Amino acid sequence: MIEQVVSVIVFGLLLGVIYGVMTVGLNIIFGVLRIVNVGHGAFMMIGAYTTYWLYTLLGVPPPVSIFASAAIGILLGLGFYYTVVRRLVGAPELATLLATFAMGVLLQEIAKNLWQPDPRGFTWYVGSVEIAGTSIYVSKIAAAVLAIVIVAIVYLLLYKTRFGLAIRAVVQDREGALVVGVDVDKVYALSFAMGIAVTVVAGSLVAIYHASGIHPYMGEPYTLKAFVIAVMGGLGSVTGAFVAGILFGLFENASYPFLSWLTSGLGLVDAQPLVLTRFIAFTLLLAILLARPQGLLGERW
Amino acid sequence: MVLSIGGLAKTVQLRTVTVFARNVLARSLLTLLVYIALAAVYTAFPAYSQFVSMILFYVILGQAFNMFMGMTGYVDFGYVAFLALGAYGIAVAAKYLGVTDWAILPVGLSLSVLMALMLALAVGLIALRLRGAYFAIATIGVNEGIRYLIEGAGIWGGSLGIAFAKELRQGLGREGANLLMTMVADAVLVSVGVLAVLLTATMLVTRVGFALQAIREDEDAARALGVNVTKYKLIAFSASASIGSLLGASYWALKGAYVEPDHVFNIGYTVEAIVIVMLGGAGTLLGPVIGGILYGSLSYFLNVMMPGLQLLLLAPLLLAVIVAMPEGIVGMIRQRLRDPRLRELIT
Repeated sequence: MIEQVVSVIVFGLLLGVIYGVMTVGLNIIFGVLRIVNVGHGAFMMIGAYTTYWLYTLLGVPPPVSIFASAAIGILLGLGFYYTVVRRLVGAPELATLLATFAMGVLLQEIAKNLWQPDPRGFTWYVGSVEIAGTSIYVSKIAAAVLAIVIVAIVYLLLYKTRFGLAIRAVVQDREGALVVGVDVDKVYALSFAMGIAVTVVAGSLVAIYHASGIHPYMGEPYTLKAFVIAVMGGLGSVTGAFVAGILFGLFENASYPFLSWLTSGLGLVDAQPLVLTRFIAFTLLLAILLARPQGLLGERW
Repeated sequence: MVLSIGGLAKTVQLRTVTVFARNVLARSLLTLLVYIALAAVYTAFPAYSQFVSMILFYVILGQAFNMFMGMTGYVDFGYVAFLALGAYGIAVAAKYLGVTDWAILPVGLSLSVLMALMLALAVGLIALRLRGAYFAIATIGVNEGIRYLIEGAGIWGGSLGIAFAKELRQGLGREGANLLMTMVADAVLVSVGVLAVLLTATMLVTRVGFALQAIREDEDAARALGVNVTKYKLIAFSASASIGSLLGASYWALKGAYVEPDHVFNIGYTVEAIVIVMLGGAGTLLGPVIGGILYGSLSYFLNVMMPGLQLLLLAPLLLAVIVAMPEGIVGMIRQRLRDPRLRELIT
């Protein structure tokens, strides 16, 4: 019993910080540009493939591959910003939702045609540690530590630099920022690129944490989870996303043994409890939206 | 004096309303003509029947999706769940309720619509209180959520789905089952299309249409004027869901006698619906028809020439449409037209 509780808490925390990072990526874009990135999961998929290919083809250690993921994310972000997103700032919400959705589909289809739809995986074993009878891979700990470092960097960027000041100024008052000489277009471009970069890196971290099941459509459950977490933490809030991510990781890990117990107790032989946890995520999302559409931990920039 | 001004205003108002109703009628007739033409091609050239029913599928998909998205400006990313539940309605009736004679049509189709309406109410009552981005977020999970429930809890055959061709052959005989899966299924498909036109036209000329238009233009103003915003959105949502479920029931379940979650919950169909509506022009009666015919033909030939590349080509197409012509083809033509009467007619 104690072992089970410890394992739920430990793995919940480790996975939770990764969930936090992935939602920070979503929230930077929403906070600054007021655009919901519906193709979120597809960008994470690109990160997972980056880590996979760098490790299997060139032997690059997975934690190092996040630099490549960040670079790819920045390029993708700038590319999409200057070709599509820039023309849609201030357009009806419908247009931006459809555009980010189309970007996600485009990335998925490119991945499918380049790398085949079958799931891939790799093994990167660097030992394990034991906490109260639960053995934990060092790779999972590494992914979680990197996640915390990345969130810290994003936080410092936003709150301790002039660039971050410009971003916050644009968030608070776009016209005001324009008047005092902030290049709003540039702030939008860089924020979009930063949000996408964090998202792609989060995909790499997911691959380091769980080095299997890398395929073109792997991002879809993450899109759903990121939305649940974003709504929990307040859409557009960076710190809220991180805290909510950890809470969601704990919740998801605790629901798995419960659902296994429930489905076997009900005699559902065909049941797949892991798939059911995603259904729980979805019902949680609807419940939160019903009760507090502004988010559980809402906070402004 | 005051009285006469009031009278004049009333006459003007009445005239505008009748002109509007007449235009809706003209456009509905035009849309119905498209369905009649497609049905004629279907019967005259049996060799093209598959192509025609595919076009029909996309035209109806566009119309059904447009009923909600076009009229309210909200986009439902989980739309395909309604088609899926529609397909399951037929399959459940045949497999689990043992309805394998011709009663499969009334029983199965009613079950389809019933399940879709239940989902529409459950999702609608929560999600329709939310605005733009939050609404999109709430709906993006619906499709996956229902699918995870079916696969995760092993309901209705879980991830394997339901095959019921054998049951149909037992109940209807070989000939009867074949007839059901070809001619009858396509006849149901055309009827669904006609129903979609009638429903859209009715919504447009009644209070519902005016309320929805007010909501699309300015939701806060509409609410302030006393329009029950959630109620009218829910009406459009349910109408769109019902047509969607009938479409899934006729085009997938009746034609294939097979329902598989991987296929019926495929988010690709939602993408296609969005592309069709955006291509033709959102919120118009003719838009989805034009979009559906264009997209259906394109998709048919792409499938023949480059199978598997459909979505890869669709995504940039959608991006191009959003950036270059956000009003769609119908909107673009409308802008080019000089004659105000023609402009009125074409929306």
